[in-house]
Amino acid sequence: MKKNNRKLLFLLGTVLMITTACDKDLQPYDSKSDETALAGPDDLQTATYGSYAGLVSADYTRFQHILGEYSSDNVALSGTTTDPLYNVYNYTDFPGNNITTSFWRQAYKVIFSANQIIGKINDGTSPALDQLKGENMYLRAMAHFDLVRFFGRPYAQGNGNNPGIPIIKTSQGEEFPARNSVKEVYDFLITDLLKAASLMNIKKDSRFASKEVAYALLARLYLHKEDNAKALEYADLVIKSNRYSLLSTAAFKNYFRSIPESNPETIFAIRHILADNRLKGAIGSMYYNDPVTLSTGWGEMYASASYVKLLAANPNDARHSFIELQLAANGDTLKRGNVVKYFVNKYNWQEGVANLSSPVLLRLADMYLIRAEANAKLGNAGAAISDVNIIRTRAGLSGNQLYSTSDLKGKASVLDVVLEERRLELAFEGQRTSDLFRNNKPLVRAYPGFHSLDRFNQTVAASAPRAIYLIPDRELKLNANLTPNP
Amino acid sequence: MKKSYLKSTNSSVRIRMAVFFLAVFLLAGRKSASATNLALGEVHSTLFSNSFNLKENSRDRIIRGRVVDEKGETLPGVSVQLKGTTVGTVTNGNGEFSLNIPADNGTLVFSFLGFTSVEAIIGASGTVKVTMNTMQSALNEVVVVGYTSRSISQLSSSVSVVSGEKLRDVTSNNVSSMLQGKAPGVIVSASSGSPNAEPSVIIRGSSSITAGSAPLYVVDGVIGGTVNPVDVESVTVLKDAAATGLYGSRAANGVIIITTKSGKAGSNQVNFSATTGINQVSMGNFDVMNSQQLYDYQKTFWNPANFNRDRPATLLSQDTDWSDLAFRTGLTQNYTLSVSGGSEKTQVYVSGNFYNEDGTLETTGRKTYNLRTNVSHDISKKVKLGARLDVGFNKFQEDASGNYGALVGATRNLPWDSPYFADGTLKRGTEPGWIGREQDNFLHGWQYNLDDTKRNSLSGDIKLDYFITKGLTFTSSNRVSYNNSKRQLYYDVRAKAGSGLGRLTNDMAFSSSLITSNRLLYETSFGKNNFSTIAVAEAEKNFAERNALLGQGFVAGLRVMNAASQILSSGNANGSINENAFSKGLVQVDYNYDNKYFLVGAYINETSSRFGANNRTGHFYTLGSSWILSNEGFMQGNKTFDFLKLRASYGSTGNAQIGNYQTLGLYSFSSQYSGFSASTPSQLANPDLTWEKVKTANLGLDVSVFKRVTLNVDLYDKTSEALLLNVQLPFTSGFTSVIQNVGSVKNKGLELNLTTLNLDKGAFKWETNFNIAFNKSKVLRLDQGKDIITDNGFSPATIVSVGHDLNSFYMRKWAGVDPQTGDPLWEKITKDANGNSVVTKTSVLSEATSQFVGSYTPDFTGGISNTFSYKAFTLSAFLNFVSGVEVFNSSRTSFDSDGAYETVNNMLPRDEWSRWQKPGDIATHPRAVFGGNKNSNKLSSRYLEDGSYIRLRNVNLGYTLPKSLLTKVKVSNARIFLSGDNLWTGTNFSGADPEVSLGQNGGNSADRYPISKKFLFGVNLGL
Repeated sequence: MKKNNRKLLFLLGTVLMITTACDKDLQPYDSKSDETALAGPDDLQTATYGSYAGLVSADYTRFQHILGEYSSDNVALSGTTTDPLYNVYNYTDFPGNNITTSFWRQAYKVIFSANQIIGKINDGTSPALDQLKGENMYLRAMAHFDLVRFFGRPYAQGNGNNPGIPIIKTSQGEEFPARNSVKEVYDFLITDLLKAASLMNIKKDSRFASKEVAYALLARLYLHKEDNAKALEYADLVIKSNRYSLLSTAAFKNYFRSIPESNPETIFAIRHILADNRLKGAIGSMYYNDPVTLSTGWGEMYASASYVKLLAANPNDARHSFIELQLAANGDTLKRGNVVKYFVNKYNWQEGVANLSSPVLLRLADMYLIRAEANAKLGNAGAAISDVNIIRTRAGLSGNQLYSTSDLKGKASVLDVVLEERRLELAFEGQRTSDLFRNNKPLVRAYPGFHSLDRFNQTVAASAPRAIYLIPDRELKLNANLTPNP
Repeated sequence: MKKSYLKSTNSSVRIRMAVFFLAVFLLAGRKSASATNLALGEVHSTLFSNSFNLKENSRDRIIRGRVVDEKGETLPGVSVQLKGTTVGTVTNGNGEFSLNIPADNGTLVFSFLGFTSVEAIIGASGTVKVTMNTMQSALNEVVVVGYTSRSISQLSSSVSVVSGEKLRDVTSNNVSSMLQGKAPGVIVSASSGSPNAEPSVIIRGSSSITAGSAPLYVVDGVIGGTVNPVDVESVTVLKDAAATGLYGSRAANGVIIITTKSGKAGSNQVNFSATTGINQVSMGNFDVMNSQQLYDYQKTFWNPANFNRDRPATLLSQDTDWSDLAFRTGLTQNYTLSVSGGSEKTQVYVSGNFYNEDGTLETTGRKTYNLRTNVSHDISKKVKLGARLDVGFNKFQEDASGNYGALVGATRNLPWDSPYFADGTLKRGTEPGWIGREQDNFLHGWQYNLDDTKRNSLSGDIKLDYFITKGLTFTSSNRVSYNNSKRQLYYDVRAKAGSGLGRLTNDMAFSSSLITSNRLLYETSFGKNNFSTIAVAEAEKNFAERNALLGQGFVAGLRVMNAASQILSSGNANGSINENAFSKGLVQVDYNYDNKYFLVGAYINETSSRFGANNRTGHFYTLGSSWILSNEGFMQGNKTFDFLKLRASYGSTGNAQIGNYQTLGLYSFSSQYSGFSASTPSQLANPDLTWEKVKTANLGLDVSVFKRVTLNVDLYDKTSEALLLNVQLPFTSGFTSVIQNVGSVKNKGLELNLTTLNLDKGAFKWETNFNIAFNKSKVLRLDQGKDIITDNGFSPATIVSVGHDLNSFYMRKWAGVDPQTGDPLWEKITKDANGNSVVTKTSVLSEATSQFVGSYTPDFTGGISNTFSYKAFTLSAFLNFVSGVEVFNSSRTSFDSDGAYETVNNMLPRDEWSRWQKPGDIATHPRAVFGGNKNSNKLSSRYLEDGSYIRLRNVNLGYTLPKSLLTKVKVSNARIFLSGDNLWTGTNFSGADPEVSLGQNGGNSADRYPISKKFLFGVNLGL
């Protein structure tokens, strides 16, 4: 009996040892806790890279592009698709649109990431930390600005007194924030960007934010706000900083194949490396399909006939390099859905990879055109025309292809000259729709494309409800404080 | 005696031992004085030698004998008693006994639970051979429940047993899918008809939202493990708390216990079975338009000038049936060779199986090689060793056409596009003139691409039984299992999906699991009181890692990573490691009085690494009782009832089926920016996260009447508390969701299982089994009463809301077609001045109001099988059914989209559908408009359909060859059969198949791999 008891005790002892020795405090292998991930300056730098990585997400880069450009008159869709980009293109946004929903999510993720870091850094700790704080403030501002231009009405309508988007300033903010007015958002962004600019004193290359990057975004923001004097001031600051220079005409033709850090004209771009190649999910895949292999993209969104016509006014215009007419083996013009196949290549062939590109969000040419528009609106016709001509000259135009105050080449106003040049220069860079609606101009499509019943004509007034997007249905369902867009 | 029409006992030797002990103790109780005075050593020698020698005077006569069942297998533990006296013994492990009787003659009474008692008159020879027959009731089956085995009649809990034979009527390589419709309350649903698909299994309704709803699988008594269907002896489904109790901590969704076959002492048995046949795709009510139909339809909504230009009548000369090109008649083969047998001390079961199923979709298929060895060996009188090894090699082949895949191409591609050039070579789809949207010919990709997965799995068990002392047994079960798999997905440079470079993804995964379960069992009895106590200590550690790599730049046809010109690092290359650990302690006490009254109670304590440091351990308990009325004196002699039992149980079980590390606030380091390592906020912390608990009350009735009808009824009420839930957060928080313990859900239901012997006349016999289960779910409570809405924009939104079914759809409600304009209409709900809801209609989707529009919880599910036998012929038919379930047919957003997409094919409208043509038309479908009619095809209740169906899962006609024919060729038995799976489905659903996953985020029918009909021929040989 005793012997048995001993055996039993031994057995039970062993079993207890085995079963309780198991450690239950397991930690993941690819993540760290909040506290350790933001502990020191190096960690904050890594987390700041994380804020930028949030932009690399297709939800940000690609959808920012679609929402900004597909609604413009620069593009023509050559067929229907179940992808909601179709609804963005033809102004039939619907509740549950994955593009608006995902962009909203990703923009606020970037904002959260930035807020976490901003909250950890006290001003003046060190130049490096001030710089990081400034970069995150810039990223936070940029994400808010993109949100407000997609989901809020242009500032010019009602002087900013329409609903904008919720401002999220801290990582422990309200659970159910309401929409701030467009004006409140702009005011917040201006304060933030000025502070960011003052904090950033390290000259980082165009993959990262720096003082001039904040100024460049301020210039654009003031332009949207119709504060033309300020827009002029900040565009001027960037141009005169001498950190950037326009590419030569020859180099310009390959602008978008170069990497941002080696491109002197780029102010800020979202750097994509080979590992970030989105293949058919890349911006470039919808515009382009490698004509040799016909395997790299969808190639379904083309340069519109109206844009092609505008460009064709000057056959030597270097900006022809960014569109490629597709021809059949026998030389016939190729079409899809009766839309002539003009591939757009601004998002292809970085480092020799078909769909790789680092989308350029701010570049020097834009600063000249912002200064030109501000000058035009302020009545400084000469200065405006002069900046436009700088851009045209770089595009290889000369002589009577350039404007003068006495020769607007049939344009009604200097502003029209500037806006047309913006369209020519910044086509497919996500600016066109905003440029129309913020200037209270309608979008007019009169070219082949799947945007209307007759697949030709479509007009959208700047005041149309659908000139902006619906607040994502999911957010309206979860947050009763949000008001919908009609 | 009639042969048992249900499967007779097939208990393992181990189970018999337990019963044997119990019988010994019963007897010992009666002989209290002498038995308790015996020295322990003597008891042992008595138990393990061949006699139980009661000291009586020398003139006694010794009677020897052996007891077997109707199959000739020995029965240990049978009580043998001299009639009218207290003299008696029990049979030993070999079914033998010897008994000293104080007289020259008399009558011996043999009794054993689950068997009809037998009386035998002692003859002159002094030896008795007795054959005992199983009582004709399923209630006598010995089942493995928790960590012990019981005859069903002794259970206080709700269990369903499916024998290996019943399981294997359909031909498949997946135990879960074979279980469909065979046990009440067990809902098996597959979202795909691919031979590689894993179905979802839900027992008694889903009681979880975010945590998994899959039951716990237990193979041969130990959590986890692998099993090939051919080796299954039986499947036991544990449903209520009393049954699942011992697995309680992880058993909130029920437990499926699989017992594999084992060898038996005696003659060697060699069995060979072969099944082979064909599979054909079953498209149900679904068909797409042909060339002319699509042409005529498009003409109705195109601008005429554009139509004449882009859709010339010459298109009609081409009419490609893409579906016909995508699907084939496949081959299914299933061969098994098994050998079992052994000696008194050692028993062995060995089987080898080869299974091959060609999917009906070209290029898809599954091949499985499986080997199992189960050995048990008595090392000594006190120690018994068991070893089980299951080794599998699997190869899965999937459609590698690339891009959207052949399933999409088969239905979406246009009949106007030809897959071939004039010279018969294949087009890729990118040629000028190709009209279809995806510009993809899957036949072209199939020439070069490959998607296959190889998987090795191994599961090894070592089990040690140590009979320490009288009534006390220590058992240690230990399992090591691992899975190794490698998937290669290769897109050749020549194929469109190769993106002009050729791409290869290698995805390697490894997982291992270690578990040790140590049990101490003590059984005792005094008088008519029987006790059984078990204490268990268990620990488990699971590990999984994965590595995936993407390379590109391959010369045509080369598909090893070594040949890549570029290796892409992040994004498509990733690695992960995951771990979790569990440990548990439990105690269970079983008590019964005189085999009439049963009580069982258990306490379980389990700790898991998955929960927060503050709340890592869960406590669970169960209580069950039952009363066998038919064993009462007042029921004796009753001719109607063969068996009557009432059961009641209550208890709590747990659910830990969430991801690992979910309680921590985390930054993920899986991204980079411009090549710099980056960290991003990935998860909100919740250190209080703890076990989800389900409390189940169960009332049951088991009745068997007229030796023909057996009925089991169960009523249950299952309430989950501290529900684990991914609470959706507004995106403005920076996160999508956070996992929390929130709220409570109740599932109530009724389950019936009826087995009847309808006819048994001479050579003709007809049996029926019918099972049905009704379940209703209701959300009782949520954190702060807040609704939980899940809306990802591309599958139907669902809502969890107090007072509603757990699986509720929350969408804009379709209100038909405006008769004046032909526009789509949805309901818009506004409040009037008095706060009353006013319902109006709108044709602007964003103005319409999201509301409750139905649920995908079925009202009832079940199955019915009929078996007819006449002499050597048997015919069986098995139907399963699901009723009252709403299924969102999301394919219709494309196929039935009112002109939205002119470059994809459309489904043929059903007869009862009508299209709006002119003002005044009352129609089901809006006016077709080029490019779409006011977003009429976006998510709304328009595409919600009744997904009820009844399916003829299997018909089997078998013939047993006469012995006379077989003896010449030295075959002991042979059976041939013809079998058909899924031959007919009755449903109103407009898609290819109404069966969808009814698990979490279920109720959605997208482009699914259709199920196949199988026509098979098989032969079973016993040597």
